[in-house]
Amino acid sequence: MRQASQTNGKINLDPENAEHGLAQLVLTVIELLRQIVERHAIRRVEGGNLSDEQIENLGEALMNLEEKMEELKEIFGLDAEDLNIDLGPLGSLL
Amino acid sequence: MCGLIYLYGLIPTKEETNQSFPSLKGFDGIGDLYTIPIGSITAIVCNLDPEEYSENRIKELINNDIEWLQEKAFHHHETVMKLSKIFTLIPLKFCTLYKNRESLETAVQSNDSKMMSTFALIKGNEEWNLKIYCDDQLLKDQVSQSNPVIEAKREEISKLPKGKQFFEKKKLDKLINSELEEEKNKVSEGIHLELKHFALKGNVKRTWSSDVTGRKDNMTWNSVYLISKPEVEHFLKQIQQYEKDMKEIGWQFEATGPWPAYHFSSFS
Repeated sequence: MRQASQTNGKINLDPENAEHGLAQLVLTVIELLRQIVERHAIRRVEGGNLSDEQIENLGEALMNLEEKMEELKEIFGLDAEDLNIDLGPLGSLL
Repeated sequence: MCGLIYLYGLIPTKEETNQSFPSLKGFDGIGDLYTIPIGSITAIVCNLDPEEYSENRIKELINNDIEWLQEKAFHHHETVMKLSKIFTLIPLKFCTLYKNRESLETAVQSNDSKMMSTFALIKGNEEWNLKIYCDDQLLKDQVSQSNPVIEAKREEISKLPKGKQFFEKKKLDKLINSELEEEKNKVSEGIHLELKHFALKGNVKRTWSSDVTGRKDNMTWNSVYLISKPEVEHFLKQIQQYEKDMKEIGWQFEATGPWPAYHFSSFS
């Protein structure tokens, strides 16, 4: 049986190990959203329209989110490459 | 004989008349390879059934039948390799087909002088390929530790509140990554220029992604060299020296050859 942690850029939805494949799929989507939010936040901070307090709050929230993602990846035995799924001719997701 | 002609390569006619032609099986695994002299250039070919190997059929097989593609690409490569060991060979790309003998002759005749100068260029020389791989993480650590600007920035960031630190660290990561790419290019270009001293010609090629190489480390450089046979040993020794000096700091070198001179001869 293939482990999801193999870095082949594919989601493993093996029937005997479906929950693991599902976790990989869910975390992939969450990681994609997290990165989109992070990039948007960086653009806003660089835009100069946020107060110091807003920047601080936003930064701390994103840092916590990043830490939480790392924890979840560790729990499910996944690394960054496992969440960077192969979209064929479009390249990699992240 | 009517039918398609599969062209493997072109050689100088005088080389073909000086030695016996080897017995090699053709693309369909049935017929043999044979030669067609066209003035001072000789084409090495085999015949193919026009129905079985029509343009559409070949396109379909290339796109949909990976086993067929693997087998035939391997056959083409092996055949061209064997021929290049015997003759001064201008290798042709996989699946170069002509409708008939006349169309092949016309194509060769119209490129005659270009082909003769290519023979002169590749005779007695070998094509070698160099691929350089880098352990990005190891290099990133070196770049971020040895760069005073980055070090100062890191010190500055450590005094900021947590939230701001997050954004500044992201900016710093971006800076380190761009410094890393610059460093990799600078080092690789320097190596390429040094290796060109051993070669008659050296060209830079596109690097391959990890999907193609199947390696975890990234290909940083991909280049080809046309080297005179006596210089090959020096060229390889120089690469071994790079390997020895730079292995511990995350660099790996892969030199392969001799290859048929695909990158230093073109026939269209």
